[in-house]
Amino acid sequence: MEFGEHEIGIEVREVYANGVWMKTTEVEAKLDEGNIQEAESSLREGLSLNFEEARSLLGKLEYQRGNIEGALRVFEGIDLQAAIQRLQPPIAEKVPSRRGRSYSEPLHAVSQHAASLVLEAIYLKAKSLQKLGRLSEAARECKSVLDAVERLFYQGIPDVQVDNKLQETVSQAVELLPELWKQAGHYHDAISAYRCALLSQWNLDNDCCTRIQKRFAVLLLYGGVEAGPPSLAVQIDGSYIPKNNLEEAILLLMILMRKFILGKTQWDPSVMEHLTFALSLCRQTPVLAKQLEEIMPGVYHRVDRWNSLALCYSGAGQDDAALNLLRKSLHKHERPNDLIALLLAAKICSEDSHLAAEGVVYAQRTINNAQGIDEHIKSVGLRVLGRCLGMQAKVSSSDFERSHLQSEALKSLGGAIALDRNNTDLIFELGIQYAEHRNLNTALRYAKKFIDVTGGSILKGWRLLALVLSAQQRFSEAEVVTDAAIDETSKWEQGPLLRLKAKLKLSQSLHMDAIETYRHLLALVQAQRKSFGPLRMFPQAEDDKVNEFEIWHGLANLYSSLSHWKDAEICLGKARELKQYSSEALHTEGSLREGRGQIREALAAYIDALLLEPYYVPCKILIGSVLSKRGLKVLPVARSLLSDALRIDPTNRMAWYYLGIVHRNDGRIADAADCFQAASMLEESDPIESFSSIH
Amino acid sequence: MSDDTPTTSPDGAGTGTDTSESTQSTSPPSDSPSKTQSAIQSLSSILPSTPPPSLSSAFSLLHDPEVAAQISSLLRHPNSGAGENNLCRWLYDTFQSGDPDLQLVALRFLPIIAGVYLSRVTLRKPLAGFEAVLLAIYAHETTSRAGQPITVNVPDLSHPSVYHESKAPIKNNATELNLAVLSPTLEPHGTVRSTKRARIVGVALELYYSKISQMPVGSKIDFCEFCVGWSGHVYEENDGEETERMGKEGRIPLPWELLTPALRILGHCIMGAREKTEVFDAAWAACRSLHARSMHDINSRAILATGSLLRLGKMDMEPTQDFDPTEIPKSDVLTT
Repeated sequence: MEFGEHEIGIEVREVYANGVWMKTTEVEAKLDEGNIQEAESSLREGLSLNFEEARSLLGKLEYQRGNIEGALRVFEGIDLQAAIQRLQPPIAEKVPSRRGRSYSEPLHAVSQHAASLVLEAIYLKAKSLQKLGRLSEAARECKSVLDAVERLFYQGIPDVQVDNKLQETVSQAVELLPELWKQAGHYHDAISAYRCALLSQWNLDNDCCTRIQKRFAVLLLYGGVEAGPPSLAVQIDGSYIPKNNLEEAILLLMILMRKFILGKTQWDPSVMEHLTFALSLCRQTPVLAKQLEEIMPGVYHRVDRWNSLALCYSGAGQDDAALNLLRKSLHKHERPNDLIALLLAAKICSEDSHLAAEGVVYAQRTINNAQGIDEHIKSVGLRVLGRCLGMQAKVSSSDFERSHLQSEALKSLGGAIALDRNNTDLIFELGIQYAEHRNLNTALRYAKKFIDVTGGSILKGWRLLALVLSAQQRFSEAEVVTDAAIDETSKWEQGPLLRLKAKLKLSQSLHMDAIETYRHLLALVQAQRKSFGPLRMFPQAEDDKVNEFEIWHGLANLYSSLSHWKDAEICLGKARELKQYSSEALHTEGSLREGRGQIREALAAYIDALLLEPYYVPCKILIGSVLSKRGLKVLPVARSLLSDALRIDPTNRMAWYYLGIVHRNDGRIADAADCFQAASMLEESDPIESFSSIH
Repeated sequence: MSDDTPTTSPDGAGTGTDTSESTQSTSPPSDSPSKTQSAIQSLSSILPSTPPPSLSSAFSLLHDPEVAAQISSLLRHPNSGAGENNLCRWLYDTFQSGDPDLQLVALRFLPIIAGVYLSRVTLRKPLAGFEAVLLAIYAHETTSRAGQPITVNVPDLSHPSVYHESKAPIKNNATELNLAVLSPTLEPHGTVRSTKRARIVGVALELYYSKISQMPVGSKIDFCEFCVGWSGHVYEENDGEETERMGKEGRIPLPWELLTPALRILGHCIMGAREKTEVFDAAWAACRSLHARSMHDINSRAILATGSLLRLGKMDMEPTQDFDPTEIPKSDVLTT
């Protein structure tokens, strides 16, 4: 294009044909005067060309000179379609009498050169039209190149026989056509052109094919046009056919990745980015991780790779794997201050009380490094720090340390909210922390605020509010909130709310209502199980699905508390059918036995539960309670069990109560009084489900 | 001179041109000009100034910048969106007309409706007008998809596909595929329940995305700007120094049901319509804000998705080598 613009005068072009060289200065001068015919005839005479050959050459000359409109004028003067017609083999020859291609080769050998000339002319006409912005016309011309190739070489050409020039023109036309349709806004035509390019045998070289695959993937991924799957005509037995645009795009991108891994093509970082976008949108980050793992070392820096892998794994809920990678990348010799890695590591640690201390370190480092343009990350750092500290408090060994950690947690969250007042996660976190801290009035304020700022759109907000109210023993209000929440959800997400409601009824001693609610819940869960394949997803209820076991177990407890032993046993049996080894079920069985006076059996069930789950607090307490009635000798055992329970769950009022009993029976009246007081204070602040169940 | 020089796009030549504003509408021409006429008539009684006489077809209604500006400013009015709001009524009727071209006109304003609606939910203002439009679009999608989810089978390359061969024998046909749900089963909704709000808006945005190649630039930019507001993070240039400011208003919860279609739309604006620099710039800014937000939410998948879009956008901004494989080789010697 820039041909004519710079270095004019120095540029000397030549044409070569039939063994003759010729300078084009004279021809160009004639063209500049607009004398196409004279230019043509001087070419014909000088080089012994026929009309079409001369015109094609002229057009190419104009095109190379950057005179696009001139080139188009020349090409328009040739009846290219007629030229194609003439090239077509006569009908009789279309049915070769002898089988096999080799015998028809002479025909091709003759016509390939002629065909290549005409086809190049049409191709350049298409390019000229493209440059003039007449995109649809350009696309039609370009398509006629490919149609002509199919007509002229319907039997194909053996690889070794292909004329280079012809192949080049064909490859270029194959590559150009979809681009033209795309530029013209005809996305559907573009998609079929891409498919035709990739699914027909054009003998494209690897680079060309790679470019087409990539551009097609990009159109499929971002074009916003749903084109329907490739036609079944191309189906090879058993081979996979993508059924929508996104699938097709992912397939192509994965093929491109494989080509790179096998060394068949150059590394193109954008392919991996497209794949990352596509796969993270459809929650398939483990597949992405696999792709990343297959890439040879040296392409990505190892820390980048670890961090990307960690994001992939944590995106799929595989936090352990993610944390292991992050520990490597955050090592002091690697990249210890990477904010995303620090945040992710801190968040993963904040969800596990045994990792919380490690998380505190990451969170603090986040805060220290949130500077400049990243200063806004400071509030996130403070929030995770608060969470980690709160979590750490749960496993701290001393009361002093615990209350210190708890107040540090609240301080940290307070610091965060001062920086980011509108952050809903933060508001929720404060609600939870205050609730866990049994500062119920403040917790209530945050729970209400959370519902306000989220417009009630997030289920866990409703649950927090109901639980805080239940902890304040305001059961009927909690029930009103639960009912309001049920109104704001669709049927399939009501499970956790109905479970809450059943427990609220129970707390108000409305046993029959509670049973009714459980029945309702059971019907819902059973319907859910029947009508859902894997395709239904409950974004909000995903982490908190009520399972049938819980319902039967709840009912068993309910009947047991009413001393309806038979019913309780039936329900417990149902629960056990669903989950054979469960400390909860053993717990209920123990209570049943104990209620019926079978103390030895009860004790055995409680101990079994602890064998299954050594940290199962309710059974520790119940064993303690049973032993506390069994004389002075076993009181130390009871005491140690109850202290252990309190170490795990310091706000458990039953543990405090029975510890009080043990102290009393052992004659330590002052200690007993303290314990009873703790128990009675806690009784007034116990939620009906633990606050941590909301997370 | 040609059929594909779009009226709104002066850069019809050159490569990478997306003439999405051209007449390439794939739907048949409005089969009911009377519907269009009555839509235009009732609109003129709502707009503050009379629409230009050139407004005669659904296409012109979709692309007229003056009409769009008037409707937009009415929709952004502090008291818009109530149940008795005329404009909401008009948008509802226009969408419900069943005419695909008129439906595009209503969808053109979806970014503003969704944007204003979601940001205003917590203000306890009457929003029944907006909700009616959103529910109508949701119901339309529910019907046209027959409630079915949109799923994606992530292929396993050890099985051959139409685009590649594989040496491994074909044994277990499709069992190795990873099934992903992009948009779950659609349940009918007669009202907007608060926990379903994001889903309803998200599904409406899914429909918008499927028509995005026909949407005017202004509509796309509207959407990008609301994304910035929703994210709660704004990047600003102050005295040549770039700063991040946490937005005061408009920050909303961004669950996946909303984020997925939003990211697809932004992906289109960054990668699919890149020649329109204003769209690209707006989408880039939106993506940057959402990336900041994904860090605040510590949402791994969102960090990955927004991060890759940002890197792709950056690659796009960098000057590339001018290699055009469809160009014939430059040569001083021409041969036949």
